[in-house]
Amino acid sequence: MEGASTPVPLHSQKKTMTAYELRRRVKSEYMRLRQLKRFRRADEVKSMFNTNRQKIMERTDILNQEWKTRRIQPIISVLTLPVVCVQCTVDSGFSEFSKQVIPLKTLNAVASVPVMYSWSPLQQNFMVEDETVLHNIPYMGDEILDQDGTFIEELIKNYDGKVHGDRECGFINDEIFVELVSALTQYSDNEDDDEEEEQDFKVDKMELCDGKEHPEDPRKDPLISRTNNDSTKKFPSDKIFEAISSMFPDKGSTEELKEKYKELTEQQLPGALPPECTPNIDGPNARSVQREQSLHSFHTLFCRRCFKYDCFLHPFHATPNTYKRKNMENLVDSKPCGIDCYMYLVQVSSHVTQPSFSFIQFHFLNFHSFVLVFIMFAEGNSRCQTPVKMKLTCDPEAVDWSGAEASLFRVLIGTYYDNYCAIARLIGTKTCRQVYEFRVKESSIIARAPAEDEDTPPRKKKRKHRLWATHCRKIQLKKDGSSNHVYNYQPCDHPRQPCDSSCPCVTAQNFCEKFCQCSSECQNRFPGCRCKAQCNTKQCPCYLAVRECDPDLCLTCGAAEHWDSKNVSCKNCSIQRGAKKHLLLAPSDVAGWGIFIKEPVQKNEFISEYCGEIISQDEADRRGKVYDKYMCSFLFNLNNDFVVDATRKGNKIRFANHSVNPNCYAKVMMVNGDHRIGIFAKRAIQTGEELFFDYRSVTRERLHNTRFILFIHIKHIMHDTGRLQSHILIG
Amino acid sequence: MSGASCKANGAVYPASSVMMNSVKKPKMEQIQADHELFLQAFEKPTQIYRFLRTRNLIAPIFLHRTLTFMSHRNTRTNAKRKTFKVDDMLQRVEKMKGDQESQSLSSHLQLTFTGFFHKDEKPSQNSENEQNSVSLEVLLVKVCHKKRKDVSCPIKQVPTGKKQVPLNPDSNQTKPGSYPSLLVSSNEFEPSNSHMVKSYSLLFRVSRTGRRDTNETPSRKKRSSSHREDGETTETYVAQMTVFDKNRRLQLLDGEYEVSMQGMEDNPVSKKRATWETILDGKRLPPFETFSQGPTLQFTLRWTGDASDKSTAPVAKPLATRNSDSSSPMETRTSTLRAAPVAVKDSVSTDVQMRREQVLCEPRQKLRIFYQFLYNNNTRQQTEARDDLHCPWCTLNCRKLYSLLKHLKLSHSRFIFNYVPHPKGARIDVSINECYDGSYVGNPQDIHSQPGFAFSRNGPVKRTAVTHILVCRPKRTKPSLSEFLESEDGELEQQRTYVSGHNRLYFHSDSCMPLRPQEMDIDSEDERDPEWLREKTATQLEEFTDVNEGEKEVMKLWNLHVMKHGFIADNQMNQASMLFVENCGAYIARRNLCRNFLLHLVSMHDFNLVSVATIDRAMVRLRQIQEEGNAIEKR
Repeated sequence: MEGASTPVPLHSQKKTMTAYELRRRVKSEYMRLRQLKRFRRADEVKSMFNTNRQKIMERTDILNQEWKTRRIQPIISVLTLPVVCVQCTVDSGFSEFSKQVIPLKTLNAVASVPVMYSWSPLQQNFMVEDETVLHNIPYMGDEILDQDGTFIEELIKNYDGKVHGDRECGFINDEIFVELVSALTQYSDNEDDDEEEEQDFKVDKMELCDGKEHPEDPRKDPLISRTNNDSTKKFPSDKIFEAISSMFPDKGSTEELKEKYKELTEQQLPGALPPECTPNIDGPNARSVQREQSLHSFHTLFCRRCFKYDCFLHPFHATPNTYKRKNMENLVDSKPCGIDCYMYLVQVSSHVTQPSFSFIQFHFLNFHSFVLVFIMFAEGNSRCQTPVKMKLTCDPEAVDWSGAEASLFRVLIGTYYDNYCAIARLIGTKTCRQVYEFRVKESSIIARAPAEDEDTPPRKKKRKHRLWATHCRKIQLKKDGSSNHVYNYQPCDHPRQPCDSSCPCVTAQNFCEKFCQCSSECQNRFPGCRCKAQCNTKQCPCYLAVRECDPDLCLTCGAAEHWDSKNVSCKNCSIQRGAKKHLLLAPSDVAGWGIFIKEPVQKNEFISEYCGEIISQDEADRRGKVYDKYMCSFLFNLNNDFVVDATRKGNKIRFANHSVNPNCYAKVMMVNGDHRIGIFAKRAIQTGEELFFDYRSVTRERLHNTRFILFIHIKHIMHDTGRLQSHILIG
Repeated sequence: MSGASCKANGAVYPASSVMMNSVKKPKMEQIQADHELFLQAFEKPTQIYRFLRTRNLIAPIFLHRTLTFMSHRNTRTNAKRKTFKVDDMLQRVEKMKGDQESQSLSSHLQLTFTGFFHKDEKPSQNSENEQNSVSLEVLLVKVCHKKRKDVSCPIKQVPTGKKQVPLNPDSNQTKPGSYPSLLVSSNEFEPSNSHMVKSYSLLFRVSRTGRRDTNETPSRKKRSSSHREDGETTETYVAQMTVFDKNRRLQLLDGEYEVSMQGMEDNPVSKKRATWETILDGKRLPPFETFSQGPTLQFTLRWTGDASDKSTAPVAKPLATRNSDSSSPMETRTSTLRAAPVAVKDSVSTDVQMRREQVLCEPRQKLRIFYQFLYNNNTRQQTEARDDLHCPWCTLNCRKLYSLLKHLKLSHSRFIFNYVPHPKGARIDVSINECYDGSYVGNPQDIHSQPGFAFSRNGPVKRTAVTHILVCRPKRTKPSLSEFLESEDGELEQQRTYVSGHNRLYFHSDSCMPLRPQEMDIDSEDERDPEWLREKTATQLEEFTDVNEGEKEVMKLWNLHVMKHGFIADNQMNQASMLFVENCGAYIARRNLCRNFLLHLVSMHDFNLVSVATIDRAMVRLRQIQEEGNAIEKR
């Protein structure tokens, strides 16, 4: 830079120079960084491509290896012409190279297979978020692009003009921002003079103040001091932010940018964990934290419906806070675990022990009396004349509790309450006495045994079904005017409120499921069936309600048995068990690919679930525009809220073709709280038959905006279920 | 007769020969458009069936006569089967062997001359001492391919023999055995070494001396075309017949022939001058007139050969169709063919067989059949009248209306045929079968003869299971025309394919590679936890910033465990947790994740999914595994 090289330029001139120059520099630096990033990205793509390639090569090698081990004898086709031995010669024309002669071998023509766009196999639906950016401009051949440019325009308009990887000049993200600032700082370092330093100093002071504001957090302190060290060295000048701000006005003012920069650089420091993250309990940095903190990740990420952490299907997971224990398990071991058991500490005599334990049990229901109980224990201890007393003399303070142990104790005390033997066993490194002593010390944090259901008063078991029936009738009346809309199920959570008209399940005309936070006695819950047959007739209330049998509700039909075998007496639990038929892919007799069944099936037998991505209706509208253009759609309406799209992810049944006279039909069923699409045989299907179903009955007609009508006719079912239930009662 | 069949010649060109039903004569464009529509509907299937017909003639996959509804086409009877004994087979073979030894000549062309007829002569009634025979010389003319140096095609003449042939014999008097005959070895027709022979033909040269020249011996050779000897006249007549044309197609099939001979004054007709009309005394004669006028030579031609190897004589079989009648030898210009039902054995020709059928069924062909083609939404109809029972698509003579209908329905299922009774015969409504199922039904190994492992030399391997029906004797209803009447309903049900099975090549859904037979039974692409999903769940958990690495590890392990086993019910969770310890316990212990695992269990308990007892048991088991692991490490 000339400005920098000239030793003593005029002050005013320099000022104007920097304003202009900085702006220019910002621009050039920005471009440079962008380019750098692009290169880096290209390199990434290249390496990714190469690793993929490597994978393919490995796969091919494995296959080739297999071929090599078997010596293959070519088949002489029956229809080939009489074998004529034709010699193939290659003559180089140079005398030093001999003529190459080899008998001509003709290879059989290999029929080409229909086009298949790549897709990922899936056996369960997968929920994806709406795409706010058009990821790629679909290519459908040049002629379509030429003749119908408006289509692409409209498509982009659907995404508010956002196309992935669009290089608009205003584009700037956090990473580039930080890099840009640091790159500019290097330049300005040369010309930084005293005034800049002053400013820096000011910033430092401010930061230090910030640090003092949280002195109670020891972990944070060193971080901030380090930040300070960094910033004292090179916290960028205001000019830089000014320049950037003028360059990218939409990114905020100078001050905003400065704040942002500070924020970003702080986070960049190594080893820093976000404050809300608990350190690994098995790691060396384990800290002593509260129960909720220890279990926070497990509680929030666990999907109670899929039994998985951060599942693919349910975006919202209910935390277990409001879940209630079904039964009071044996909370306290009745026998001491060994000679050192804490029970000997508390044990005065047999007749004293009994009442005290009853007190413990009593206290589960009564929190306030807890301290009182402990006082009693203490008294008991002091009066104790057993050898245990000797043990007590050993100093309890001497035991050192690590952070992990302490955390674990707090976790377990919430589950095991006063079963110190069990807690000690689980902790492993402490005896129950130590646990007990720690417990006494920790008495301020005391887990409370769960109370009885307060939200919904329990009902008498006998009357349950009758009430259910009347309830159904009630709802049926309410639903008279409603249409055939079917809404997605979402577990309800309204503590201390019965499931009435305000309950989301009731308003969405869904039953409450076991995942709901309401009481198991809730009126809106589906009771399950008590069939002893196969649950494949309308005699079964589950079948009637177009639900699969719930293995936690239907305990007599066999839906909850024989987990390993395919022979389940209940025929109404195929989707959840994934009891699909073996399907084979081959070019269709009709168009493109088709799917064929390996073994014959009976009428109404389950064939496969139609799996795919679950997308919102809006997303389906956007995607559908492209699919319509391709004349190939895998969209399948699930309910009023969601659509299944098997284009990118799916299973083999996605290859089933449409027919007006199909051999399969699709049915959307409620399967343990999820709507899922089952494909069933419409008639008996023979070995090797191609499968068809009628797309019209299931796909959405986007143009007319008429929503797919689900098979459930709630009104009818509700009525029948009510009647059935009364039948069951009688029977 | 030949003419009659010529009229019926050719397959259908329905469009060209349609007669409009409409009363008004439509405009030209309308006809054109209509014609287009017609072609649109019927052209493709017709072409397909014509192709199939030709293919079936060359390489038949079945014989029509074996079909139950075509049983009348079968000339053999099974009467002999009743008396059949296995021992007879040996006897027959032995007899055949003896015959073969006596017949040294492997195969040959046998010409038996019935006589030389010349109308100028008076019939030889008073002919004890009169000359009643002519001398016939038969030469085999080989026209060879022109070589560069040759000006014209080199011609080789091979004398094959000389015979005395009776002149104007009375067919009633002469015994069949007494006719002179000539043998031409089929070796002569083999390609010779020096010249590539283009075509073979027989040259008949008849020399007839005058009345006085009674002493002429057959041994005297008469090379020159005509000459006088002692003032006596010697007339020479010649005729030429092609045996194999230049495409090596056999032109002379077994049969009785009558060849019109020409005087030697004009040179044997060269091909360049060949015309289609016969000129006698400067006047044109109708084609068959020459036979009554000019001198003719009658002979019977027979290809004989080994009983074991029938295919030696004819090199190329002509297509056995009705059309082949019209392609009778042209170069001889004036030969005709008489049906020879007696002389012909089943040596070569289905052709002759066909002809015989025509002879047999000709008298019954008074039945008229109208084909009515329905297309364009059944609005336009066109009919074509035909008067024989040949299938219009494959020219198969069905000979019975029932057989015809059955054949049409079964062999040409791209169309729908409906029979409608008609006062003059029958009307057949032809429409396109929209539900035609063109899927291949047969052995999948036949269609894709991929170099499969079925042919591996390393021992037996699995092949795709294919079911073949060996014998099927369904209950047949009595043939009745009513079954072809248009049915009211159940049509859809009937059109479903009845053949089932895996008669196609399947592909892997992930790689589009052909599925090998041994892979049929494993559903490899339907796993609950495909690799990408396992990877996805791991990366998804990895993305969390506020979850520590120990938690992440346990969560990933658990997720994979659940995905692998596909747990669906709450009451499976106790079992699932125990299984988890069994499967992943060692890993958990090794990676030092025990407390995280305990947290996981407690969390599950908080969700009401596992009992306290399960936590206890799982942890005890984990400790056990841990100790085992430590013990192994120490060792």
